[in-house]
Amino acid sequence: MSSIDERRAGFQRYKENVKKRGKPFYPYAMFHDTVMSLVVVCVIVGLAIVWRYTSVLGELIGDKADPGTIQFVPRPDWYFYFLFYLLRIFKWPNSVILATVGIPTLLLIILLIMPFVDTRRERRLTRRPVAVVAAALVIISMGVLTYKGATAQEAIASEVKAAIPSWAKKQGFQNNKEALAGANLFAESGCTNCHTYLGTGSSNLGAPDLSAEGAKNKGIQFQIDHLKCPSCVNPGSPMPQFAPLGEDNLHKLATFLEASKGSQ
Amino acid sequence: MATTTKPSRSQTLAKTAMYPLDWLEERSGLVGGVKYFLFRKVPGDTSWWHTLGSATLTAFLVQLVTGVILAMYYKPDVNSAHESVEHITHDVWGGWLVRGMHRWGASVFIILMFMHMGRVFLFGAYKYPRELNWIVGVLILATGLFEGLTGYLLPFDQTAYWATVVAININGTAPFVGPWLASVLRGGAEIGPDTLARFYSIHMLLVPGALIGLIGLHLYLVVRLGVTSPPWSKEAADREPDPEPPPPRSGMVQPAPRAAGVRRRPSE
Repeated sequence: MSSIDERRAGFQRYKENVKKRGKPFYPYAMFHDTVMSLVVVCVIVGLAIVWRYTSVLGELIGDKADPGTIQFVPRPDWYFYFLFYLLRIFKWPNSVILATVGIPTLLLIILLIMPFVDTRRERRLTRRPVAVVAAALVIISMGVLTYKGATAQEAIASEVKAAIPSWAKKQGFQNNKEALAGANLFAESGCTNCHTYLGTGSSNLGAPDLSAEGAKNKGIQFQIDHLKCPSCVNPGSPMPQFAPLGEDNLHKLATFLEASKGSQ
Repeated sequence: MATTTKPSRSQTLAKTAMYPLDWLEERSGLVGGVKYFLFRKVPGDTSWWHTLGSATLTAFLVQLVTGVILAMYYKPDVNSAHESVEHITHDVWGGWLVRGMHRWGASVFIILMFMHMGRVFLFGAYKYPRELNWIVGVLILATGLFEGLTGYLLPFDQTAYWATVVAININGTAPFVGPWLASVLRGGAEIGPDTLARFYSIHMLLVPGALIGLIGLHLYLVVRLGVTSPPWSKEAADREPDPEPPPPRSGMVQPAPRAAGVRRRPSE
């Protein structure tokens, strides 16, 4: 820690040195800035061209948003992947709040108070081991989380559907038509984009495994109410509302969930 | 006594040409301000490292220009938003380029913000007296990310819609303000037609306005406080002077204690 007088003296020295030995912003620094700005504009135009004429950067536009079809992949833009992937690590309902609110808030607070914690005048990297290690850890963890988020696979509906007979066998609802229909809806409606069920699906956004949802014996009516408006039943649930599926379909889904007592 | 000679032709011409600038300077001081900005001294070791900030600003300006053009064609309505984006992409002359630049310029802007922040961190440039500018920079980063979040919904395709549904729901999980914030973003209890209009307004009026203000303050502080020399520079502008060579010893007098205490005051 450097005293405020030392820091003031350092800045005074800075101002005097710049006055004596500095160079004018124009043209010296401005030359570098102009070249760099041109590079930036060229890169942006280049990306737009690659996007337009190849498929490397993804499609130009997806299908029109349809609140009625629940078949979806809730994927944010790449710079949120690190948060997106955190939601696979922290699970609903116990710790998901850490990923959605806790860690981002903590990061923001650390960034904001940093200049008041590190009040030494020292700027050389070799004399700032804590800062260098912290920076390396942040860069590595954000890089890994972004990569993991980018390569995370979402379940494909057809693959999920293929698993239904084995589910029915394991859960013992082969003869329950309502539950089988519900299992089909479960596979088609994108539930497995976030939930896992007997090893199928991708654990996402903190959603819990549903293999033994029925073992909680919450009742069909509870399941229907929850599907209609998850956050009404579980305050703070990030799950979208599935009311557009209609009462019949919701009943099927609820029957399927209640018949899921966990692998025997 | 000096004789008043008639001003030469070229002098008159120069005076006439400069008249608008003089007029402006007399009434606003702006010309002096621009001159100060351009000809202010920066440390002699200012290098390519210092271009990341202006590069970020350039990316932001690209977003402003392309965003204004997109706003001329985009329709923030659930029934026509997707069609209007398709129209921009496929029918409007150069529309794909403007939209592509906006779409990918956002990524470049965010990457550059992070790189600029990393540079400032490694240079220790957030230290006294630039703490406030670091805070403004962090606010710009957070606001910039929020701008990306709100823009993501606007093409109104499936990915955009459902990612936003979940993003809003996640917002709602925050304690205290969460549910209120989520309801403000949605424009009601449910995601509906109002949500899109709301995101559009936030994305193109509220957040850019905030960003322009924050960036202005950021630049003002940069010009006022100056840029930091690289920490490894041999001629870093805030470097402590090399310790004076000890004066030749004379007799039994030891000058060492004085030399060691040159920069210290007894109170420390």
